[in-house]
Amino acid sequence: MKRYSQYTIEVGDLWDVSFWKKADTMDLIYIVYGLFIVILVVVSYVLGALSLLPHNPQEINLELLMAPPNTAGHLLGTDFMGRDILSRLIIGIQAYFLPGLLAIAIALTAGTIFGVLAGYWGGGLDTTTTYISNLLNSFPRLVLILLMVAAFKPDIYTIMLVVGVTNIPAVASLIRSKILFLKQKNFIEAAMALGLKSWVIIFKHILWHNCRAILIIQATLGMAEAILMETSLSYLGFGVQEPTPSWGNMVQAGANYFMQGNFWPSTAPALAILFTILGFHLLGDGLNNILEGKRG
Amino acid sequence: MKLSAIRPIALLLARELAITALLILGVSFVVFIIIYLSPGDPFGTLLKGQTTLPNAPENIRGALGTPPAWYAQYLSWLVNMVQGDFGTSTRTGLPVLNEVIRVGINTLYLTIGSMMVTLLIAVPVALFAARRGQTPVNWVLTMLAYVLSALPVFWLGYIAIYISMHHFGLFPLAFASSAQKWSWLYFMFPVLVLGLSNGTTSEVVRFLREEMSRVFSEDYIRTARAKGASIWKHSFKEGFLIPITEIIASKIPFILGGAVVVEQVFNWPGMGRMAWQAAQDRDFPLIMGITLLAAVFVRMGSLLQRFVHILVNPRASKE
Amino acid sequence: MNSRPVLKIENLRTFFYSKGKRAFVRSVDGVNLRIGKGETLGIVGESGSGKSVTALSIMGLVPGEPGVIIGKIGLKTDNIQKNLLQDLRDYVKINMSTGRIMEVYKDNVGWQKNVDRVMQGIRGTEIAMIFQNPKLALNPFIPIGKQITESIRINTPIKKRSQARERAMYWLAKVKMDSPRLRYYNNPYGLSGGMCQRAMIAMALSSDPSLLIADEPTTGLDATIQSKIVDLLADLKSSVGVTTMLISHDINVIKALSDNVAVMYGGTLLEHGPVGIILSAEHQAKHPYTAALLESIPREKHIREKGYLQAIKGDVLDTINIPLGCRFYSRCDKVTEKIQEKCDNHEPDLREISSGHSLRCWLYYE
Ligand SMILES: Nc1ncnc2c1ncn2[C@@H]1O[C@H](COP(=O)(O)OP(=O)(O)OP(=O)(O)O)[C@@H](O)[C@H]1O
Ligand code: SF4
Ligand SMILES: [Mg+2]
Repeated sequence: MKRYSQYTIEVGDLWDVSFWKKADTMDLIYIVYGLFIVILVVVSYVLGALSLLPHNPQEINLELLMAPPNTAGHLLGTDFMGRDILSRLIIGIQAYFLPGLLAIAIALTAGTIFGVLAGYWGGGLDTTTTYISNLLNSFPRLVLILLMVAAFKPDIYTIMLVVGVTNIPAVASLIRSKILFLKQKNFIEAAMALGLKSWVIIFKHILWHNCRAILIIQATLGMAEAILMETSLSYLGFGVQEPTPSWGNMVQAGANYFMQGNFWPSTAPALAILFTILGFHLLGDGLNNILEGKRG
Repeated sequence: MKLSAIRPIALLLARELAITALLILGVSFVVFIIIYLSPGDPFGTLLKGQTTLPNAPENIRGALGTPPAWYAQYLSWLVNMVQGDFGTSTRTGLPVLNEVIRVGINTLYLTIGSMMVTLLIAVPVALFAARRGQTPVNWVLTMLAYVLSALPVFWLGYIAIYISMHHFGLFPLAFASSAQKWSWLYFMFPVLVLGLSNGTTSEVVRFLREEMSRVFSEDYIRTARAKGASIWKHSFKEGFLIPITEIIASKIPFILGGAVVVEQVFNWPGMGRMAWQAAQDRDFPLIMGITLLAAVFVRMGSLLQRFVHILVNPRASKE
Repeated sequence: MNSRPVLKIENLRTFFYSKGKRAFVRSVDGVNLRIGKGETLGIVGESGSGKSVTALSIMGLVPGEPGVIIGKIGLKTDNIQKNLLQDLRDYVKINMSTGRIMEVYKDNVGWQKNVDRVMQGIRGTEIAMIFQNPKLALNPFIPIGKQITESIRINTPIKKRSQARERAMYWLAKVKMDSPRLRYYNNPYGLSGGMCQRAMIAMALSSDPSLLIADEPTTGLDATIQSKIVDLLADLKSSVGVTTMLISHDINVIKALSDNVAVMYGGTLLEHGPVGIILSAEHQAKHPYTAALLESIPREKHIREKGYLQAIKGDVLDTINIPLGCRFYSRCDKVTEKIQEKCDNHEPDLREISSGHSLRCWLYYE
């Protein structure tokens, strides 16, 4: 039992740092909000897939046009054709959820492969991947998709494939710089000196132990990206077409009524987009701050 | 600066130029391949509404002769482009180059203007946060940046149009006529809307704040404080100039994407709207021209960033 | 010590809060010092003994992380009228009887602003500092000459750019920079470490400070460059005669340049006195730690390779859990049975055992 001098400070004594200054607290709030949104989206997706909806999203009710929220059993009101907005919002998730997952899967898988190739083996591979990613980054994504639309009249899955492919460089460069960082810390050399096989080092030590946070964060941000893309395209009329609802075409369809002062049918899906994208962004950044220690 | 220092820098700049040229060449190839692989028949789409003859497309095809191999097509397309001939729009019959440049200028104005708006919001927030750390004010501002970034740009556009209609009596269709009383507002709204909600604000804040705080903890900033000099002055190049050009360059594609939507909302006669039209009409020469020009914009932004990086940073020439 | 001291420190404590360990790292823990006019005080001690943090505390440059800094620092005065830390203690509440920190309401922003306000007109002007690692400490984006000119224009009456430039050239020549007129326009990256350190020295001296703090000016340089820098400092000492606080691992550097020496360990001074007494091998009455340090000199080459000084058996003191007794107790080989109980349980105070020579060891207290 060692005795220490009188200045030994005990944990309980300190810290009257105000709420705002505790970066961690803020990050936790970000994450909690983000997780709430993620759960809401997933649950709604499942409900939509099982058709467990408060109303039939396609049921037209000419008696009850553009009802405000909470009228006659319509929790979020009705749109310009008397259709239940809540049900349409829930069904609207079908438009981006699976396609978004596809985009994420492509970006993460291929991004990881290219990142490892460039970072671990480096050399000519590194230069080549850099050029390819510069090339992909040269296209404004929406313009590239319009080009694809003109060329192939693709469906939403094909479009999300393009979104995924154009996201590859971002993921790859993150993985690559992480590996370079580990190299610089002689981490990889040490692992090799232990006689570990390359694939063990790559999969277990690099990807699993050091890159999973990056991948989770990128998946989160990728979903935000997918939602943005789908809503923009549906808004432009190239995505999901009326009467099948998607958040983007719901905003668009409500536009004329918006100009006449009936804000709600357009605003409800717009708010859904806002809160959902916000949730994914905050989740990604909050995780980044805590897992990758950006704010120390 | 001494002469011997200029030579390597000139070489580096030349290298960047060459890389840019190479990348634009690559872009043109990708664009070509996408169109080449397309299953449709651009002439068919065009003629559908214009002629009643059942086999007009085949006749035209026949008159044009069999298409040459793909690389020959690409080369001749490329050679024509280098000579300034981007073909003619299949819909309007106008030369693509003129059309694209005409609308490109409008889009450039929209893009640069909205970038300014974004920076005007993001930079003060980021610098404040870098210097002051977490404060309530700061937290509110950062949150605001997040909300702005998540705001669907088209919906914000509706609000702007609604306001302009009901408060200033302006109508979207009136864009071309600038005789109205508040018409200058109509040039401002799209820029403001795109600037506010192009989805990059929070990232700009984040990036700039992190770079600035990193530089603030560098040894040389401590030296500056030790001699009583301004830390802003000493951190300007590494903490502000380099990151800001970097983030601008990397966000140009996003803003151009947002421009497509905003131009649609506001009836703004820019590249995005033209691309939208071209995609609907499957007007291949036009959309190829637009994609190329958009890519050139992006590359020019990157080129600018690389130039700043090389000129400002004495270490760059050692890299 | 007849003249008024240029710098006087009383009971300086600088603690950092370590989030991971949830405790304070007591990097500087009760340092008392005085530096007389024209004197060069050398501070030696192993890595991590708190030398740099002491220097940074004087300059008010302690990183703005959670922590505590208390004590008194006075400049050019005997009874500490101008206390450079004056208002800083307002940011902590301390139970004075136990010394326990009850509450820290340091808001870093306000604290830093406060420091900056208090230190305005002192940093650069009154106290100048030379850092180790000159290549990183000079702004890589600005030619060295311009950085010196800037310092001159801020800290001296010379405000005109052209005059300041002439002055900067003069100082570049004075620190024996080869072809100063060309070097003036060079960015640090193009210069060697030695040249950068010369530029740092020129920058520090160019503002004609009352006190120069040199924190390991030779560490990280090649051996030959090191000795050249030492020669330069010795030269400047005789020609410019600025009061200096010189921090170094290298006992030879301290020996060559200082008048008085303070030996630091675990955040406090263990011994303080004239260089002739403390660092000479013949003089017998010295602190066991100093003796151990001196014995480690033959292995100096080894120190250079490692970049830090640790030739004494055992580990450097863990400054989170500071033992109750003598800080050096766990590594001391001079403990006698008679004093062992004291060494283990009571910290010796810094007592003067002969004129100008004080130390902290039970061995010498009768
Ligand atoms: N910003 C900080 N945050 C937390 N701990 C710190 C900080 N700065 C210094 N310390 C701690 O304070 C102690 C003393 O550091 P200091 O740099 O003063 O040592 P030093 O005597 O200068 O050693 P060296 O010879 O290696 O420079 C170290 O243990 C270090 O870990
Ligand atoms: S007080 Fe005791 S333990 Fe400390 S140095 Fe002196 S003899 Fe050693
Ligand atoms: Mg040090």
